[in-house]
Parts: sequence; C-alpha cells; structure tokens
Amino acid sequence: MRLVRVSLFACLLAAGFLLTQVATGDDIADRAKKLHFSSIVLDTHDDTTQRFFSKTFDIGKRNPDGHIDIPRMREGGMNAIFFSIWIDGRIMGPPAVQKALDQIDAVHENVIKYSKDFAFCRTAEEVRHAHAQGKIAALIGVEGGHMIGNDIRVLRMFGDLGVRYMTLSHFYNDEWADSSTDKPVHNGLTDFGKDVVREMNRQGIMVDISHVSDKTFYDALEVSKAPLIASHSSCRALCNHVRDMSDDMIKALAAKGGVIQINYEKSFIDQAYKDAQDKFSGGVVAMMDTLKKECGDNEECVNKKMTEMADKATAEGKLPHVSWERIIDHIDHAVKLVGPDHVGLGSDFDGANMPEGMDDCTHLPQITEALMRKGYKDEDIRKILGGNLLRVMEANERVSKEMQAAQ
Amino acid sequence: MWRMFLAAVMCVAAGMFLVGMMAADGISERTKKLHFSSLVIDTHDDTTQRFLDDDFDLGARNALGSIDIPRMKEGGLGAIFFSVWIPSKIKGPEAVGKALQQINAVHEQVGKHSGDMILVTTSDGIREAHKQGRIAALIGIEGGHMINSDLGVLRKFAGLGARYMTLTHTGNTEWADASTDKPAHNGLSPFGKDVVREMNRLGMIVDISHVSDKTLADVLETSKAPVFASHSSCRAICDAARNMTDDMMRALAAKGGVIQINYHIGFLSQEFRNAEKAHPERDKAIAQEVQKRCGEKEGCQLIQGDIITREYVLRGDLPRVEWTKIIEHIDHAVKVAGIDHVGLGSDFDGANMPFGMEDATKLPQITNALLEKGYSEGDVKKILGENTLRLMADVERVSRELTAAK
Repeated sequence: MRLVRVSLFACLLAAGFLLTQVATGDDIADRAKKLHFSSIVLDTHDDTTQRFFSKTFDIGKRNPDGHIDIPRMREGGMNAIFFSIWIDGRIMGPPAVQKALDQIDAVHENVIKYSKDFAFCRTAEEVRHAHAQGKIAALIGVEGGHMIGNDIRVLRMFGDLGVRYMTLSHFYNDEWADSSTDKPVHNGLTDFGKDVVREMNRQGIMVDISHVSDKTFYDALEVSKAPLIASHSSCRALCNHVRDMSDDMIKALAAKGGVIQINYEKSFIDQAYKDAQDKFSGGVVAMMDTLKKECGDNEECVNKKMTEMADKATAEGKLPHVSWERIIDHIDHAVKLVGPDHVGLGSDFDGANMPEGMDDCTHLPQITEALMRKGYKDEDIRKILGGNLLRVMEANERVSKEMQAAQ
Repeated sequence: MWRMFLAAVMCVAAGMFLVGMMAADGISERTKKLHFSSLVIDTHDDTTQRFLDDDFDLGARNALGSIDIPRMKEGGLGAIFFSVWIPSKIKGPEAVGKALQQINAVHEQVGKHSGDMILVTTSDGIREAHKQGRIAALIGIEGGHMINSDLGVLRKFAGLGARYMTLTHTGNTEWADASTDKPAHNGLSPFGKDVVREMNRLGMIVDISHVSDKTLADVLETSKAPVFASHSSCRAICDAARNMTDDMMRALAAKGGVIQINYHIGFLSQEFRNAEKAHPERDKAIAQEVQKRCGEKEGCQLIQGDIITREYVLRGDLPRVEWTKIIEHIDHAVKVAGIDHVGLGSDFDGANMPFGMEDATKLPQITNALLEKGYSEGDVKKILGENTLRLMADVERVSRELTAAK
C-alpha cells in the first residue's frame, strides 16, 4: 500500500516536472517545486472541521467542492494543518463547551480513521516527526474564547485534548475579550481575560489574536509570556479591514517573537473587493449573520452558502475579481515590514472566499514559486511555509515548561 | 534513584511505625504483611467534590472526611477511583461542563501531589504505580447524564482518563433506567445500548451500580466485556434497590464481572434501613441541617451528611451499624458469586460510614477479618484488588479486539 502511494507520488512529481518543462522550460519553477515538496507546509487555519458532520463529506476522498481533503493536500504539498474548532460566537456557556468537544472529537475520529495519512500532533517536534514519516500533521485550534464557557478548567481540558491555539474571540465579544467586529465593552481584555492568557501560556496553548480588537491585541501582547500568533489575518495597509493588522500591530507582534499567518479571504486582501462587498452585503459579519438564519446550527452550510453567494455576485459583476497574487502582496508587505521570521500561512480554507487561482490547497506550490521569483531565499521561504510557526510553537512549549516547573 | 531510595526508606519507616501502632487494634502481623504487600483498590470515592473547595488539600491529613494521601498511605490504599459526580437533576450541556471541571480537578490534585500519586488508565498502570510506591489515581464518571446523550462527549471523557461510567445516578438518564426512579425506558434504550458498545470500544468499564434490575439485564446482554458494580452491596442482607440480588450477582459473575461492596450503612444494614423508613422526618431534618451547614457546596454536603447521621446514631435516634457488616456482605457475595467476583467500592466521602470504618486508615481490618474467617491469602488479595485488575485487563483486551476489528 505504502509502495503504491510512494510511486503514485513519484508519478505525480514526475508528471508535474514534465509539464513544467513543456510549459515553461523554467529553472525557477523546478527549484520552487523541489523546495515546496521538501518543506513543512503548515496552514494554521482551516474550517474543514465543520464538514466532518456532513454525510457527503469524506476527507479521505477527493471532493468536488471545498478546499481541503487528503488527496488535494498531498497534491498541494500541504503537510501540516490546524483544524479549526468553530461555532457562532453568540453561542456561549455550557452549550458552546459541548459543541466544541464534539468538533474536537470529530477531528480525533477522522485522524484515527485515516491514520495512514494523518498523525495527530501536539508539539513542533511531533510535526517534524510526522513530516519525516510522510504523514500530514493534524493539529487543533479553537476559534473563539466563547467555547470555554468562562471556565479556566474547561480551557485546561481542551489543552489536554490536544488544542494548541485558541483565538481569543470570534466575530462577537466574549464575556472577557473584545472582538474587532463588535462594539467594545471590555476595553480589550478583562482581568479574567488576562487570566485566560496566562493559563494558555501555562498550558502551552498559543494565544491567537486574529479576530480580536486592537486593544485586546495590545493587552494580550502585554500579558502573554510567550509569543503570539495571528492564525489568519492579513495586512490593513493593503486592505483596510478591521480583521487585518495595522503595520504597528504587525511590528509589535514581531517584536515579541510572534507571527502573522496571512489569510486568503478576498475581502481581507483586496480593498476594491472589500469596498464592493460592504455595499453589496454590509460586510462579512452581516453576510454570515444572514446565512446563519438560513442554515441554523449547520456551520458547514454557512461556509458553503457564503462561497456560493460571493461567486454568484462576482459572476454578475457585483463584486470584483481578485487574483491569488494579492496573497503574495500581503506576504511581501509583512516581510518588508518585519522580516521573514514573522510571516506564515493561515489560509482560512473551507471558511472563506478564496481569490481566483487559489481555488483549493492544490494551488499552494504557486506561493512558493511566486516568492522565489520575487527573489526570496530558499531558507526564508521555508520559514514562511511553516518554519516560523514551528519556532513560535517551540517558544510556547518552553514557556509552558518553565511556568509549570516554577509552580 | 536517590529519591526512590529515600521513598523506600520512608515507606519502611512508616510501615514500622504502623506495625507498632496497630498492634493495639488487634491487627495480626500476618494481616499487616499481607495487606501492605497487596494492591488495595477502591473503585468509588467521592473525594472529588472536595477538590472544588478552595481550602481542601489532599496532601494534608484532614480532620474531616475519609480520604487523603496520609490516610490512604496509613491504610495501605494503593489505587483509588475518584468519582466525577453531579446530581442527576442537572442535565444537558451544563452537566457536561461540570463533569469537565471535576475531571480537571482530579488532574490538578494528582499533578500537585505527583510524588505520591499518578493518574493512570490501565491495569498495568496501576501495577506500575504500585511498584514505584505511588498511589494510582483513576477516574470514574458516576452517572450517564454527564455525557448529555452525546457519544463524542463520552469519547472525550475517556480521552481525559475516565475509566468507568455508571450508566445512571439516582434518576433515569435519557437512555437508561435507574433503580431509584420510575422506569421510563424498560432498561436501556437503543441509544443506551450504543453507549455500552462505545464504552466497550473505548475500554471503559460499564458500571451498573445505581441502575435498575432491567438495565443490568440489558447491559449484560449488550456488553462484550465484563462489567462491574463500582459500589453496591447485597440485597439479600439489606433490601435496598441500590443493592444486588443473588441472581443479579450470579449473572454478573457468569460474565466475568465484579461486585465492589459499598460501605454505606443504609445499604449494609436492614435494621438501619427500617429505622430510616419508619422516620422519614429524620431524613428531612438531616437534609435541612446539611443545607444549613454547607449551602450548595457538594463536597461539604457529603461529609456533613455522614457527620450529622452519626450524631443521630450517638443520640440513639438511629441504630448503630458496625464495620463488620461489610465483612458479612463480602462473605455473602463470595458465597453467591464466587471468590473471583467480589471487591471493594467504599463510597468514602459520599456516604454514611459504619462504626470502625471511619476512613481509609481502617482498611487493614477488612484483611484481618477475612483471614480470621479462614480466607486464604490468595483469596484475600483477589478481593482487595486483583479481581478489579483482572476485570480491567479483560475490558482492555476487548477494547483492543474491537478497535483492531474496525
């Protein structure tokens, strides 16, 4: 079985190689492919988890829709993925806890089901080990602090179950952290919110500041003893969206060793699209709220309808076309701002509207090639593809060990 | 290495100290030798609720309650199942969240005392902890209401270390009838059977304490692994619905199961039970007094319930029950179900203890009494813990077979 897979992989590689030769005869394309397929390509934000509850979705097979499954991850050289645990931010308290447990369980069960392809990972070392074995590293991030039900003990149990980052809020404020897309009520983090950050440090759960308000970000940065991540955010200087980070924020994040993982969502990377979308549907939060009413508790349905709606509007000329190359612009902007050690990839696949040419994860090698064409050094590209995030994970693991030893 | 040596020296010293001290209690040298070299396992302790009180420290010798590390060591208790329990009236997601809190509380307490204790999930883990001179800590979920009818939650509880689940507490769940509620499902519902099958797959022991007789029959039919009663006694001696009839014990044993004898006086003594029934107003008065002393603090409620009941006994308002009643139940169960199917499930810190079994330090008396009754050393070891270990190993084997077959 393994042999078959290896030879299939070799065939694909060879076919790709041939095609490249025919199509471009290009040396950079070759080198990019080699670099890409020998690197740890880590994506910190994928909403595929919600699809696990659909009867028609099978992550082991090539699916006609969505952005992520094992065959396409293999084809795109994506070998480490953070499955996002997400429910609507207005569900709070114990019901949110139980729903989060269900999604964590769905990730675990799918990893067990496809244990030939997946390895469940909790540490940077385990991700490297999975890669060495030719497996896809599967990790878990909880997208929204509302899912701990205001309970530090629940946070700890999430940590024990393998959760490796938590986004402090989603679109709506928690009871202890302000979101970038809600009216501020806590002036950033409450005292309990600060306790949450400290406990995450102690547990080795990375603090994710995507989605949070600017003030929450600065509060988290001040409180956290470990570097932070923005698991899926882009640059506000190129697209003025509150979900993106200003240059000052990116600099402050980097100064403390953190990393911004660039989000591919069209309305976060393209100003013209964002402006048109605001007019068309009142922005992403309002749009998702409308869809929530249609879909009820079915999170997969929300994600799916959002894509359908955006595609239709683009086809009708109501929303502009956005090229995948805008992703490169954002990566490059962040790198120019803070250097290659503080930028990574957080696609938002299966949870956002992808730009044209980044229709799913099979297109990831384009990023490597584009960066190479821009003159990025191989080692810097590897950092962006995954190395930076692994460094931040290791730093978090170290802080966790120190804090636990100090007790 | 040095630490292990030090621990060994301390163990020997403590042992010698105990030998000196206990001679006065009429515990024989033979008993001490046997008891302190055996793996003594208790499958049901409600100490967990006390962990949620800020002022409780498992590492200190406490004036109240029955369980802490110094007293477990003194009584030779080598492995303990901390019970995760909330009243069965709490349902839905709230029950899930509260169970998570208690699981975390066990993790935190064990982590705080990692020199003395270690969290384990297998029979080998218990043996390994014992070899290291540490107390093995395990987790049991007392009541299926805590999974809120969600197999995903059940799996995550198992992932966090839960090694048994009692299918109900005093009230029916949405899928299983309890012995102390009106039957609503005629035993296990189809989903209840799925729960049992999933527990088999996960290697969790199915616990039939608290469930109705029909639920037990359904469980025995459905479960691929042996099951146990984590804390139940014999109905032939004390006619409580929570206890097991001789037929139930025989059926349990026929499938390799174990009945772990409960020390609660209301389950041990018919006389006590009759007195309780004759004066229901006393029960009410006790409950009111508990509320007065503890408010909503469950850890406190369980301990004070025991203390106040004893005050009634000392005033002569309720009959006095001696610890030797435990031996009667063990002996009866051995006669009915066989020596391989009986163990210990005290209900310490969650029930009313008989005189002479106030806390874990009194456990060597059980060994002493069984030897005096003529039980062989090998048989006593089985009751103290080996039967539970065998059952766990069987449950683990079935889990491996079921997951491999998938």
